[in-house]
Amino acid sequence: MTNPYTVLCVDDEVLGLQIRKALLETSGYKVLTAADGKSALMLFEDHMVHAVLLDYLMPGMDGGRVAVAMRAMKPQVPILLHSACVDLPPEVVKIVDATLPKGEGPEMLISRLQLLIEASHSPGRDDDQ
Amino acid sequence: MNLEDFRRVLRQAILIPFLALVALACLLFWQVTDTQRAQSWLDHSDQVSAQIAELERQMIDQQMLLRGYELTLDRSALRTFNSSSARIESEFATLRQFVSDNPEQVANLVRVHDAYLLWLGFAQSLIASPNPAVDKNLAYQGTDFMKAVRTATKSMSDAEDRLRKVRLEKAIRLEHQEIICIIAGALLVGTALGIFSRMRLRQVSRAYQASLDDLQRRSQELYESREWLHTTLRSIGDAVIACEASGRIEFMNEQAEELTGWPMGEARGKPLEDVFQIIHEMTREKAENPVDKVRRLNTVIGLANHTALISRSGTEYVIDDSAAPIRDKNGKMIGIVLVFRDVTDQRRTEAALVANEKLAVAGRIAASIAHEIHNPLDSVSNLHYLLARENDSAKRKEYLEMAQQELKRTMQISRTMLNLYREPNAPVEVDLKELLESVLLLLQRRLDNQSILVRRDFNDEFIVEGFPAELRQVFANLIANAVDAAGAGGKILIRMYTVPAEELRGAGATVEILDSGPGIPEQALQKVFQPFFTTKGDQGTGLGLWVSMGIVQKHGGILRLENSTDPEFSGAHVRVYLPARTLATAASRSTAHVG
Repeated sequence: MTNPYTVLCVDDEVLGLQIRKALLETSGYKVLTAADGKSALMLFEDHMVHAVLLDYLMPGMDGGRVAVAMRAMKPQVPILLHSACVDLPPEVVKIVDATLPKGEGPEMLISRLQLLIEASHSPGRDDDQ
Repeated sequence: MNLEDFRRVLRQAILIPFLALVALACLLFWQVTDTQRAQSWLDHSDQVSAQIAELERQMIDQQMLLRGYELTLDRSALRTFNSSSARIESEFATLRQFVSDNPEQVANLVRVHDAYLLWLGFAQSLIASPNPAVDKNLAYQGTDFMKAVRTATKSMSDAEDRLRKVRLEKAIRLEHQEIICIIAGALLVGTALGIFSRMRLRQVSRAYQASLDDLQRRSQELYESREWLHTTLRSIGDAVIACEASGRIEFMNEQAEELTGWPMGEARGKPLEDVFQIIHEMTREKAENPVDKVRRLNTVIGLANHTALISRSGTEYVIDDSAAPIRDKNGKMIGIVLVFRDVTDQRRTEAALVANEKLAVAGRIAASIAHEIHNPLDSVSNLHYLLARENDSAKRKEYLEMAQQELKRTMQISRTMLNLYREPNAPVEVDLKELLESVLLLLQRRLDNQSILVRRDFNDEFIVEGFPAELRQVFANLIANAVDAAGAGGKILIRMYTVPAEELRGAGATVEILDSGPGIPEQALQKVFQPFFTTKGDQGTGLGLWVSMGIVQKHGGILRLENSTDPEFSGAHVRVYLPARTLATAASRSTAHVG
């Protein structure tokens, strides 16, 4: 099972990040990982990314600020905010394309990600990266 | 007018009339003596006149004897002549004695005597002559001599009469004078005494009136001040009972009547313990009679915590109470006043607030725990998905190990949470180092998120007695405050050191938490331990420090908050002293006493 999409995973939980990478790779994605906001933005700039899977609570730079920076660079790339946080600030929720709480299960994660990527490649969106 | 004045007036009232009367008596005595003397002079004159008359009569009798002899020449007629001469001489002597004080009369008497002696000489020559009747000349000569005697006697008698007249006038004048003196003296002394008595009486009566007025004014003042005191005691919200030194009730205000269930009329004179029955709220043991306690300590006392008052009807009130000795001017205890109030509702409210804060803390912890648990659970769920699709045994083993690791983390978090709520009934040994580490673990994510550096300045474990969940709540609160104050990129210093025993406190440990935040405004420092005071707006309940203070006090510890002087951590500086041995029990009140 392969697909041509690259996903950037950002999370400060290194173990969880590795597992998520393995999970997404099993589903055929090409996966880039970053453990903090700064390296995530560097990867995001340097590589062609089809979607970003972003944690919210991270030391130094939280998911909200990372999302704002990414939107400024490449606004067409969909961002899925994936957090265990129960009280996400509304302005952050508005910036990202979708949110998914942690613990909903891997199937849900994969299907939501797939949906987001497909939506961004549907007619009406002029990018093709 | 005081008593001394009054006595003086009394002395005067006796002494002055007495002296006046004595003076009057002296005056009268003097007058009477004068009159009497005049009278005696008068009597003397009479005596002298009588003596002159007697002398004259005897001289005439002697002349008669001589004339008889001349006419009869009867010698027998001369028989008594010589004896008569001797009598006359003695009469002269008597008279001389009488008039010896008066030279004029003495001279007169000498003339009479001389004239008499002349006549007597003639008489004797006549008697001696052999024929006296023949010589007519002799007879005439005798008559002339006798005339001279009579003339001298008469002039003496006249002189005495004049003297008597003068003396009589003097006696009459003195008598008049005496009467006038008596009347005038009596009138004068009487009037003076009257005026004096009137003056003194008026003085006394004025003083008496003044003291009557004073007495009335004082009794009015006393009445008013008593009323004022009663009104004040009736009006204040606290219950008041005043007792005599023996412990019998003297006064109760309405609040005290209401709480004890005893009307004052019935309670008055009863021993305090009959009316004011207090027990320990928890142990139900009889509490010490405050009267005895005040007498024992001889100072103002507060009742022990958890004192409950049993009213006459059996209703129980939790009360806050103090008792104080009433002392007289010399410092002797003459009574005891008790002031107390029903704090049942207040105690319930405080308990509700503590529970509320506990819930708020629990809520915040639950949210952070949910987050902490969700991460590893998410990983496990992902691993489960991978395992289901993986055939490579090496990969499977790796996944299983990862899952094991994540589950272990979940367990650790849930155990921490359980510890938060599992509270022993008696104080247990708590390792402060472990406790601080577990609190920091819970807060780790927030610390990481805000890049807050925590410097730990404690290495050795330190064991204190206490209630771990409550202490964890205290430190979670204090460190969370430090995190909020320090802000992103800030620093926190946590240090712990042992404290040796001092006079007023046992050995223990002090934990200090300093942050690099802005510190606390001076006016807020006064209030931070009061309930509902918050500097965090809607984010805080305003109960955190109040509850923390209560818990630390319950453990017998001290919680202090001030601004730091450390240049590196220049914000707030919190000190928590905890004794190694605590007196706290599970039932101890854990609300703060905020002064």
